[in-house]
Formats: sequence, structure tokens, C-alpha cells
Amino acid sequence: MAKKTTRFYLAMFMGKLARGTQKLLGMNATFFPGKLALQICPDFMGQVDKPKYLIGVTGTNGKTTVSNLLVDLLETQGIKATNNRSGSNTKAGVASALLINATFGGKSKNEWGVIEIDERSSMHIHPYLKPGYVVCTNLFRDSILRNAHAEYIAGIISANIQPETKLILNADDLISSGVAPDNERVYYSIKRLPTDTETCHNIINDCRICPKCGAELEYEYVRYHQIGKAHCPKCGFASPKPDYEAEVHFDEKYMLLNERGTQQRYDLISDSIFNVYNQVTVTTLLREMGLTAGQIRDGFSRLHIVDTRYNKITVGGIDVIDHMAKEHNPVACSVVFDYLSKEPGTKEILFLLDDEKVLENMTWMYDCDYEKLNSPLVKHIIIPGNRAKDQKLRLIMAGVPEEKIIIGMSDEEAPNYLDFEGTDKVFVLHQCYKPMLSKKLDGMIVELIRKREAQKG
Amino acid sequence: MSEGMDLERTKQSSRTDRNIRIETLFPEIANLYGDHANIRYLKLCLPDAEYVEDMLSAEPHFATEKPDMIYMGPMTEHQQELVINKLRPYIDRIKELIEQNVVFLMTGNAMEIFWDRIENEDGTSIEGLGIFHYVAKRRMFNRYNSAVMGLLGDIKLVGFKSQFTHSYGDNSSEYMYEVTKGDGINRETKYEGVRRNNFMGTYTLGPILILNPDFTLYLQKLLGVEEPKLVYEAPMRDAYEERVRQYEETEFVLT
Repeated sequence: MAKKTTRFYLAMFMGKLARGTQKLLGMNATFFPGKLALQICPDFMGQVDKPKYLIGVTGTNGKTTVSNLLVDLLETQGIKATNNRSGSNTKAGVASALLINATFGGKSKNEWGVIEIDERSSMHIHPYLKPGYVVCTNLFRDSILRNAHAEYIAGIISANIQPETKLILNADDLISSGVAPDNERVYYSIKRLPTDTETCHNIINDCRICPKCGAELEYEYVRYHQIGKAHCPKCGFASPKPDYEAEVHFDEKYMLLNERGTQQRYDLISDSIFNVYNQVTVTTLLREMGLTAGQIRDGFSRLHIVDTRYNKITVGGIDVIDHMAKEHNPVACSVVFDYLSKEPGTKEILFLLDDEKVLENMTWMYDCDYEKLNSPLVKHIIIPGNRAKDQKLRLIMAGVPEEKIIIGMSDEEAPNYLDFEGTDKVFVLHQCYKPMLSKKLDGMIVELIRKREAQKG
Repeated sequence: MSEGMDLERTKQSSRTDRNIRIETLFPEIANLYGDHANIRYLKLCLPDAEYVEDMLSAEPHFATEKPDMIYMGPMTEHQQELVINKLRPYIDRIKELIEQNVVFLMTGNAMEIFWDRIENEDGTSIEGLGIFHYVAKRRMFNRYNSAVMGLLGDIKLVGFKSQFTHSYGDNSSEYMYEVTKGDGINRETKYEGVRRNNFMGTYTLGPILILNPDFTLYLQKLLGVEEPKLVYEAPMRDAYEERVRQYEETEFVLT
């Protein structure tokens, strides 16, 4: 722990003052106080006392859900954890979380901390935070503008993870499982599932060659993208042997987790494979940190995944489902499209995956599995916005019949193009930065359905 | 388009797509930004052409057989080194194929493989194939993102760049296209990429054949296709014309 300087105390005071003022003004106050503190004392994160049990959560997908699950589960066991769930996962957001949960003297108010860390911000956070544990959920292709490619991000994380940090890693992902190879590590995995295949059914798999010798990897099975189990026929490199391995029983909604030779049963809190991974991640970490299987079982039984990215309203027998799809992240969008394709019932889709800036790079669309939207159950796809013509072309190339794709309207006009007749579900797919727009359109859709119901008498 | 790069001089003899072989180099890695869609789209336009893929673990087909076109997309920095090492034994063969007017299309950082060298920020460098006398300089914490628009002859090209490198050297006599909005191979030039006979390399990445219908027709003509065609031409042109309009109306702010 770096020695506290006068600048640190000034930064703490000013940061808390800024937070108090922002709160009085009804603001969130989870970014600016940390930003200000860092401006006054650039080593603020190094000097502030950290929680004794500090967990960092990083990775391309799932880190927010894992962080939230950890905070909520700990809370069910009476443990309050310092966290940045209501703020940013970059430097200023993390500094704010530490500031808010510290005394004026810089002492941490909590023994536990769960900090979500933007992987691109690793160099600004890990060297100061030095978490005892870091979870890396997975590393996939993400926004090419910021993240370039998964290997680049893995390199940034590896270069900045501190030697004393113990890693909790996904053995089923050959990219993230290889970060910081000299650090102590624990691997988790999900055993082969009936739905796994021998070849990749997604457009992209970013781990087709051996990271050691460059030979083509042989996959024993692929779950999605590069997630699966593989080995190199040339040099013997292979997926790591898991310390924690889950046997998942989706039908009966439980998993048996082999925990270093001891088997424990946990009820599943979600039936999506992505959330099962999140649950296995959380369980592995907390077991390693000393919580009992009973505590974890009890915790899971008292919480559910609060998915701010998913909201369902049923009106007039039609489910109106608001679902976030991270635009520019082809894997995240593919996952949403896959989920949507597997949902039973006929669907109308309102696509809000737009770019306000017309110069924005849209090449990610061709890495994303739009093909999953080519289903007889998808009746229409309504697309407003700047990217409508690009989206239409991509969908046509994915095999979606042209007559199903409707473009050329404003965002607010889009709900009027939905056809509710014979429709079971309306999906509103929106990007990260348009939750307010999608909520507004959700409301308009609900009103349209209600009017329709009223007219039907 | 560079001086002398007229279509009649460089195109291959007229044919149907039945006689055409298109070779993709290292699709298992060189596919970072939707670039694989270029070949997927060509397969729709030229369904009877023969498509072969060269894996890193095998000898490339072009070593012993002459293709009509060779395509390679962008890759990671580490993979650039693997590819350079893989192709090094075939430098003379690649030069021969360029001389024979074989069409090469290299998108994103794939063209840097053929440069003299790629320089890292720490002063180290990677020796390239040395076929083109340029140097790429990496700045790994300063990613360059931009849209780009330019002219290849009378064809208006649009697309995107997203890269850690810029290239240096005088390409004024062998560029692929002249940029009208955005930058060329570095911030100081409007000459984008490289063109020597039918070798075309550009930092423009992604599904450039889908984004640029006229360029795709041009490419087919270079391959000697008698009646070039575009599948899904109407929606493709709609998207293209919209992008051209947007680019023409928008001030480019480069990052």
C-alpha cells in the first residue's frame, strides 16, 4: 500500500464533497468524484485502503452479471462489498467506488470488494488495485475500434495483472485461459453438453490455431465460437484441466459441480448456458475464497439474475420483450440472435442496432450470426435509423426473405409497422446506449396492442 | 488508380467463372473484421469458380498451381509473423504471380506482410517479404479508426480503417486508390494502399466487396469474367449509395 500523501487527503475530501453535491442535485455521483480525485492525486487508487478480500472481474462478456451476482450473493450472507455496479468500470468509476466506500482518512469501510474492470482499462486499474482474485470470464472479438482483437486484449490483461493475484479462469476458452501464465490460477469448466457440436456453427472462431506452435487445433467439441475443448495434434497443447467442472442438467435445473474431487449440487438460477457459466464462475471463486457450498446454495436460492438487459411485458397475449444487444460486439449480438431464434412462437422484431455517427465502422455485422434470424417464425424485422440499408443487406445475405424486412421510417414511427396479427412475441433489440429509446418504444408498442385489443372488443 | 493500371491491359483473358480459381490464404486466422464475407460474397457471384483455402499447416496451392486470384484478410500482430514465416519460402513465386497479372486482394494489415519490414515501438522490427519497399510502424496504444472514401479510376470506393499501424514509403506511382476523404497509407498522404499489376493491397478492411458494388464488378472483369454480375445488386447499391451520400455530406474527423 502506497503511503498516503497530502494530495491524497485533499483528493478524498474534494471527491467526497463533489459526491455530496452531486447527490444533492439528484445525480448518480459514481463517476465524477473518482475522476476529480484522480485529477488531484493520480495515485489515488494506489493510496486508498482496499478491501481485504478484493475481487476483480473482467472479460468480454458476462462480467457485469458475474459482478452483480457476487455482490448480491455476498449480501445474502451478510457481507457488504464495495462495488462499482452503479458506475463505470473504467478508472474513474473504480476510483469512485473506492472513494465512496472509504472514510475521509482513506480506510475501507468494507472487508470485501467486487470491482468490475473494463479489460481495456487494465493498465490503469490492476497495478493500483492489486486484487487478490481476478476473474476473467472469456475473451471474444469485441468493438474493433477499441479492442482490436481478443489476442490484443489478452496481452493487455497479462501485462497488467499483478503477480500476487490469483486467477479464476474459464478452461473452455483457450484465449482467456492463457492470460498471465505465471500467475496462480484455478480453472472451471462445463462438461460436454448434448447440444455441443464437433465443428463451429458460428461465423467466427478466434482460436483455430495453437497459440504455442500455430498448428490447426482439433476440437473435441465446440459449444459456441471458440468455447469448447481442443488440443493441438502437433505440440500437445490442450484445454486446461479444470479444478471445478460442472455437469449441467438443464431439464431438472441443477448442476453437479465437481470441486477438486468433491461433488456439490446447485440449483440453476437460469436456463441459458451463458448464465450457467456465470453461476459456475461465481461458485468457483467463492469456494476458493472460503465460502461453504451451503452458503452459496443458500445465496443462489435467494437471488435471481437481475438482467437489466432483458425486460418482458405481456399484453393482449403478446410478449413484448426488450433485449439489449451490444452493437459492434458480434459475439454478444450472435448470442442474442441465437436466443431469439430458439424462443418458441411467431415473432416481430424491432431492430434498434443503429449508429448515430454515419462514419461508424459496421464491419462487425459480417462477423455476427445474422443467419440465426432466418427463421419461418420471424415474421418481420423493422429497422429504422442510419444503418437500416446495411442491416437489410446483411439480413438478405443471411437468407432472410426481403419481404420480411421493412426499413425507411424514424425510430418513433417504427412500432406502427409491427404486425400483431398472429404474433406471439415482439422483440425490441436495442444497443447499449439507447435504453431510453427502447423503453419509449416498448410503451408505444404496449399501447398499440391495447388499442388493438380494445377495438376487437 | 495508378498510371497504366487500365483494365484492358491487366485483365485476364475472357472466360466464364468455371475456369476461375480463387485462393484464400489462411482463413483460419486472416479474417478479423468481417473480411471473410468477401469470399462468401464472391462465391455467390461466381458460383462455378473453384475456391481453395490454404491453411498455415500446409503448402499453399499457389506454390505449384497458378490461381486467378489470391485473397487474404487482416490478422493479429503475432499472426502476421506466422504468415511472414510461412510465405518467406515463396517470395520468388509470389513475384512471379504478380508479374503474371494474378489478382491479389489484401485487406487491412495483410498487405504489410509484403513490405520490407514492420517496426515495433520498442525499436525492434520484423522483416517482411520485401516485395514492396514500404515500412509499417506500429503504435499499439494509438489505434487509428476512420471511414475512408476515394477513387479507383472512376470507381468511388468507400470503407473503413481500424489499425495500429501506418505505412511509410513513396507509393505515389503504385497506389491502389486516391483518397478523397480520410487518409492514405499514413496521415500525410492521400495515396492508399498499393497496386502493382493486379496486386491490390489496402488498409481498408471488412467486407469491401459487399460495400463496393462497382469495385466488385471491376474485380470480376480483372478476373476475365465475360458477364460480371452482382447478387443482391439492388439492396447492395442502395446501401452503397446511402453510404456515399452520407460520406459526402459528413465532415471526417479522424482519430
